[in-house]
Amino acid sequence: MSDATLEQSRRALGEAERQRERSERRRGFILALPSFAYMVIFFAIPLVIVLVYSFATRTSTGSTALSDWNLDAYRKLGEPIVRNVVVRSVILALITTLVCLVVAYPFAWFCATRSALTRNLLLVAVMIPFWTNFLVRNYAWRILLSAGGPISSFTEAIGLGETNILFTKTAVVIGLVYAYLPFMILPLYASIDRLDRRLVEASSDLYASGPQTFRRVVLPLTMPGVIAGSILVFVPSMGAYVTPELLGGGKETLLGSYIVTQFLTARNWPVGASLSFVLMAVMLVSTIIYFRSGGKNL
Amino acid sequence: MSEPPGSDLNPAAAVSLRGISKFFDDVTAVDHVDLEIGDGEFFALLGPSGCGKTTTLRMIGGLEIPSEGSLRIFGDEVGPLPPNKRPVNTVFQNYALFPHMSVADNVAFGLRMRKVDRAETASRVAQAISLVRMAGMENRRPAQLSGGQQQRVALARALVNRPKVLLLDEPLAALDLKLRQEMQFELKQLQREVGITFVFVTHDQEEALALSDRIGVMNEGRLLQVGTPEEMYDAPVDRFVADFIGRSNFLAGTLEDVSTVCLANGTRIRVPAVDAEIAAPGSAIQVSLRPERVMIADESAAPEGAASLSGRVSAVTFLGNSIVYHVGLDWMTVEVETDHRPDLRRHAVGDDVVLWWRDDAIAVVRP
Amino acid sequence: MSAGRRGLGGGLLRFNGAVVLAFLYAPIILLVVFSFSASRLPGQWGGFTTEWYQTLFDDSRIQRTIWVSLRVALVSTVISTVLGTMSALALERFRFRGRRVFDALLYLPIIIPDVTMAVMMLMFFTQAFDLLEVVFGLGLSKGFATIIVSHVAFNIAFVSVVVRARVAGMDATLEQAAADLYASRWQTFRYVTLPLIAPGVLGGALLAITLSLDDVVVTQFVAGPGSTTLPVYVFSLIRKGVTPTINAVSVIMLVASLILVAGSVALQRASAARGRQRLQTTGGIQ
Repeated sequence: MSDATLEQSRRALGEAERQRERSERRRGFILALPSFAYMVIFFAIPLVIVLVYSFATRTSTGSTALSDWNLDAYRKLGEPIVRNVVVRSVILALITTLVCLVVAYPFAWFCATRSALTRNLLLVAVMIPFWTNFLVRNYAWRILLSAGGPISSFTEAIGLGETNILFTKTAVVIGLVYAYLPFMILPLYASIDRLDRRLVEASSDLYASGPQTFRRVVLPLTMPGVIAGSILVFVPSMGAYVTPELLGGGKETLLGSYIVTQFLTARNWPVGASLSFVLMAVMLVSTIIYFRSGGKNL
Repeated sequence: MSEPPGSDLNPAAAVSLRGISKFFDDVTAVDHVDLEIGDGEFFALLGPSGCGKTTTLRMIGGLEIPSEGSLRIFGDEVGPLPPNKRPVNTVFQNYALFPHMSVADNVAFGLRMRKVDRAETASRVAQAISLVRMAGMENRRPAQLSGGQQQRVALARALVNRPKVLLLDEPLAALDLKLRQEMQFELKQLQREVGITFVFVTHDQEEALALSDRIGVMNEGRLLQVGTPEEMYDAPVDRFVADFIGRSNFLAGTLEDVSTVCLANGTRIRVPAVDAEIAAPGSAIQVSLRPERVMIADESAAPEGAASLSGRVSAVTFLGNSIVYHVGLDWMTVEVETDHRPDLRRHAVGDDVVLWWRDDAIAVVRP
Repeated sequence: MSAGRRGLGGGLLRFNGAVVLAFLYAPIILLVVFSFSASRLPGQWGGFTTEWYQTLFDDSRIQRTIWVSLRVALVSTVISTVLGTMSALALERFRFRGRRVFDALLYLPIIIPDVTMAVMMLMFFTQAFDLLEVVFGLGLSKGFATIIVSHVAFNIAFVSVVVRARVAGMDATLEQAAADLYASRWQTFRYVTLPLIAPGVLGGALLAITLSLDDVVVTQFVAGPGSTTLPVYVFSLIRKGVTPTINAVSVIMLVASLILVAGSVALQRASAARGRQRLQTTGGIQ
């Protein structure tokens, strides 16, 4: 075979390989295309529209003028009313996260130290409320906390007097903890389960007391779970809408409800859009922290 | 080595590779391989991981397209064809049995895809299953089978299609040692029964020696040597081959003429005539000296006329059936393995000894 | 934590475990109990009755919203399961132009807050309808279709994540083996890939139905008059004031979601049981 035919065969093979690769790429692209197009049209474009609106101006009639671009809507975030909403949301979300952490850590530890069967039952038990309808879960607390409701009757019966916490911050925190507790338990459980028990034994062998072992060995090693769980609770708490509406009675406005108000009642779309963006920024930063801390699952 | 592809084609060859290369981006996985595998041959591609043996097999199977060269199966050029257009089937590493199908459905899969009629499919499947001695297990799922049984199903699933060449990718690697030895024997038996060409890839030199008619050793994408197991062991042409198949001592030296080597310490030794392809007179070479082919004796007992080296025992390792001595020469250490027999003198650390060998017990290899 | 099993520490752990479980289940159980209470006040016991369920079944408004919810859930689940599965396969098995962008785009709906998603969809439809009216003279309004489009927009991502995990866990050599055994692309998908990822696809679909039936915020923003879903309607009722009828509706919603949970738990158990059976039989042979 001459050099010319050698070159020819090499070209033919190269062409065949490129063709195979091209058709693979084409297959992948065609497979992805419908959902890709869908996500661009019905997700990416809406996202951009929100961004654009956040720089627009609200006219006196409540409609939005798509001209005269400015940062007014963002400046408004510094005003006391909005700032109070943001601060209150952060504080309530932090309290919720902290309560979840304190309740969930021992529970996750409890789960991780049971036999395989008990452990699975406990985890399923945690998951079931999580899968049940979100609205119903919030509504249940509305009934429980209502004046003359079961909790109030109970405290009255044991001589503590009526409780009247519906439509308070406490009620909102209870509702948020109830809604997002599984988000805290599951990552904590995962990291505690991964923890090598021999390290705990090694630590006590090296004269550490129980609390010392916890602080110096257990807690650092389960930190990824703590961080992941905290983010998974903190972020949706910040954006919560249904819970503060139902249990806070609309008095304790949080960021989520405030944004909804901007759209459905106040008709100030630019401010609503800019607040949505702030909310999303919180979520994006948290997600980045989450992935940095080594969280992959959940 | 540098003949253009397609020349001096042997039409009887089951698989013929001429100047086959495969590049992945900047990496050369397979580098100008020329190879002919005969009809009915049991051929092993042997080499360390990453040497290009699996890529070569995947090119024969059609899972990769060669970057250049000519690849023929029974004379037909198949280089660019997809796997389902060539008369070969593959037994995958870890077998790749379909976990959701029964043994019978796994075996029938290829025939069903080609729309072979039901009656024929049924009879061929039954035949293939009994060929691999799995009759009675047709309705089991792969997960309900042991490793050896899974391998048999994988063999039946490939053989039922009556391929002209069967490719096996590390067929025994997933099995434990004892089962592996049993399956080696079975595999060889099976190949004789069906009489088709088997090409298998392995990193286990013992497996290659035990199973195959011929072995090709690959390293860094290149095919270094092809030959029968005996040839590969007795007359390696490359240091890598000598080292990979069995153990060996390597003595550096220069080839003075076709059958004389001057070792690094100045000793001249006679060697079997060296092929010009391995080394030309005047070039640096290595002498491969198998530990069990070196004779060891007290300094006074060296035979007349034979090339010999003197040294001192630096370590003795008792292995039951044999004893391994490490003998320090002033320029290197040589490993010597002798039988452990009552009539053989045993040397101790510090003894001065002399080493010698028959001229035909050594091989000159490319460094 | 060396005292984790015994003594005071162990006791506290147990107590905390019991409290957490009570906290998780008491509200749900009490809700069911009160839905059968004859008292007009929804949080008080006044003897057994099924009256509220009766009112519920006579209420045509509630029935209409149930019907809307079911249709929305069904249609959006079918669409998002198909699209989500396709994108999972594309992302896990192929390289193509724009793959990384697509991958990132599919993560966003999972982490984006409900409220932001709702705002996005509302603004998008307002803009799109304005545009369509100006350009084509089409007079579109929010309704059934906009709810479905929005639910699909967040559900594709969830289905895709669930299915991707399954595809990633599937040995790619099985597909190569099928190709080696003369299967075409379509046959490989039909006979090898699809049956093996089916539990993932089903799991994704169950998640999509659940999320669709759960959604209040997004739906509230994109629903039109006459296309209100059950959760949105119930949400507006609760804001006006709680009634025993809402208790009954909630229990119906609860039952629906429990059926879905049971489905997914059964799905997990089925695949786990198959794994166990596998181990036992293999153990038996060796």
